[in-house]
Amino acid sequence: MLAPSFATGLWENLSHDIHYIWPQILLMVSGLLMLWPLDSWLLPWTKAEKHKWAIPTMAILLLSLAISVYTPNGLGFSAMYKVDGLTKGFQVLCILASIFAVMLSQKVLGALFEHTAEYYALILFATSGMLFMCGAVDLVTIYFSIELMALCIYILVAYLRNQERGIEAGMKYFLLGAFSSGILLYGISLLFAATGGITTNLTELNQKLAVVSQDKSLLVYSGALMVLVGLCFKVAAVPFHMWSPDVYDGAPTPITAWLATAPKAASLAVFLRIFGTGFHSISYEWEAPLMLIAGATMILGNVAAIKQQSMKRLLAYSSIAHVGYMLLGVLSKDAQAGAQAIWLYMLLYLFMNTGAFAVVIYLQGKNEGERIEDFSGMGKRHPVLAFSMLVFLLSLAGIPPFIGFFGKFYLFLLAVEQGYTTLVVIALLTSAVSAFYYLEVVKQMYFKEPAEGEVAPMDSYSKFLISTTCAVVIIGTAFGPQLLKWTDDIRWFEKETPAAVMEFPNK
Amino acid sequence: MVSMNAVLLISFLLWSVGVAGVLIRRNALVILMCVELMLNAANLNFIAFARMSGTVHGQAFALLVMGFAAAEVAVGLALVVALYRKKGNIQVDEINLLKG
Repeated sequence: MLAPSFATGLWENLSHDIHYIWPQILLMVSGLLMLWPLDSWLLPWTKAEKHKWAIPTMAILLLSLAISVYTPNGLGFSAMYKVDGLTKGFQVLCILASIFAVMLSQKVLGALFEHTAEYYALILFATSGMLFMCGAVDLVTIYFSIELMALCIYILVAYLRNQERGIEAGMKYFLLGAFSSGILLYGISLLFAATGGITTNLTELNQKLAVVSQDKSLLVYSGALMVLVGLCFKVAAVPFHMWSPDVYDGAPTPITAWLATAPKAASLAVFLRIFGTGFHSISYEWEAPLMLIAGATMILGNVAAIKQQSMKRLLAYSSIAHVGYMLLGVLSKDAQAGAQAIWLYMLLYLFMNTGAFAVVIYLQGKNEGERIEDFSGMGKRHPVLAFSMLVFLLSLAGIPPFIGFFGKFYLFLLAVEQGYTTLVVIALLTSAVSAFYYLEVVKQMYFKEPAEGEVAPMDSYSKFLISTTCAVVIIGTAFGPQLLKWTDDIRWFEKETPAAVMEFPNK
Repeated sequence: MVSMNAVLLISFLLWSVGVAGVLIRRNALVILMCVELMLNAANLNFIAFARMSGTVHGQAFALLVMGFAAAEVAVGLALVVALYRKKGNIQVDEINLLKG
């Protein structure tokens, strides 16, 4: 009687820990139901009516947001998945970013008559992958949740398959993403080999890798480096960033806005898990490479953004640069403070970046807004919109009155405390460089004559989103100094007892 | 019992062939196959070391990786077909609309 006992065993294991993953289950099940039977059977919406899918999608995402906040803390699934402050904090960021992406999608998809349930279902699946990434504490779960997210994103990037640019972007992203996942997996297998084929759990790896014998040190070194490379591909850190501007350029703009925030938040959570706790005992192996990567990312991201003509590419390079800043937090030896600084930075970046992309999407109504010249004279044509773009850009540049400044300030302060003075000097200098290209856009908006042509009207979601994010960026400024104090109470990493690590369901 | 160094050597060779293929070949399908080679090199490590230690952890991982590889091929081939319909070939060095 193998089959029934296997099924009951599976069910017992699942039901024991299922309360940790209700948000993911909600997203996956509703995504599946959207594909079948709701889309083809129960809801006979015509193609023009499919935009209504946005509303249930947002409702589902909001519901999972609420559930994820109230998930009990703990460790489950044979110590493979953990819910703590880090998990919840980054899950909130990922879900928020996905809600923003759904809101932004309206106009773009509507104009192309490509409103389909699949688009929203894929966003839900990818979001559930991100939620798993935030809580994964075992290299197995980390790898598969990354891939769950990535497989959905490959399709979404190439979603407008009647456009050659979209397909090319999707193909590029797929080939490089698959290549990087091959490197990541091989790195994991080497670390697994270094422990003698016993464990992939991060806590146990931390203990085992610290005491491996001399002849295995090469395995540990190359394994840790390959994992680092694989993850750097995911967050588009230099020198593994080549795909990012092309993919951002070719993807549908709402997906670009989403790519710049949600997968990066989830990947940074993985970074914090692996390098904050997992490989803590072998930090001498990866610290120098990660420092080099962070420095190079800040420099190249900002310098390459200067000569961009396309707004989407400019924002792509700027997001590369922002990842460079956030890697400073990963380097912090105080994982708690590092997680806090990165989370705050990512939260503020989410609002500024989404707002900036919302303005770009608005201008794209007639396939405009791609180039920076399209912004010329916006101060006269659309004073409100131009003002909010100004707020977003100044905030992205980290110019003091705006909220982006506080994110940078806390991050750089932490890095100075941790002794990475050289990197902070680079970060400050490149921030100054970044002000140059952000202000170039501002110059176009306010000091250039308007170009010919009207732009299409904006849908209500985008209006709402631009005004909300702009309000958050402006009003948040007043609360900037308190942000650090408010998030001080969050316990990002739960201390786990050795007994809890190997706590299998009672079987 | 085969020595573990031999396993590591073979898996590294397999992986290197995969990496070299991705970097050198220009046909999207061949690149896809080379990526599979990289995944299988990792699988070899997982299985060999799980057998050495006598635990099932690594073997389960290898099975899951195979499942993932199949899903990846499904998405990859769909993209290849879409690219072929649009351009008439699948040479990656002709993917050059986006640059700058």
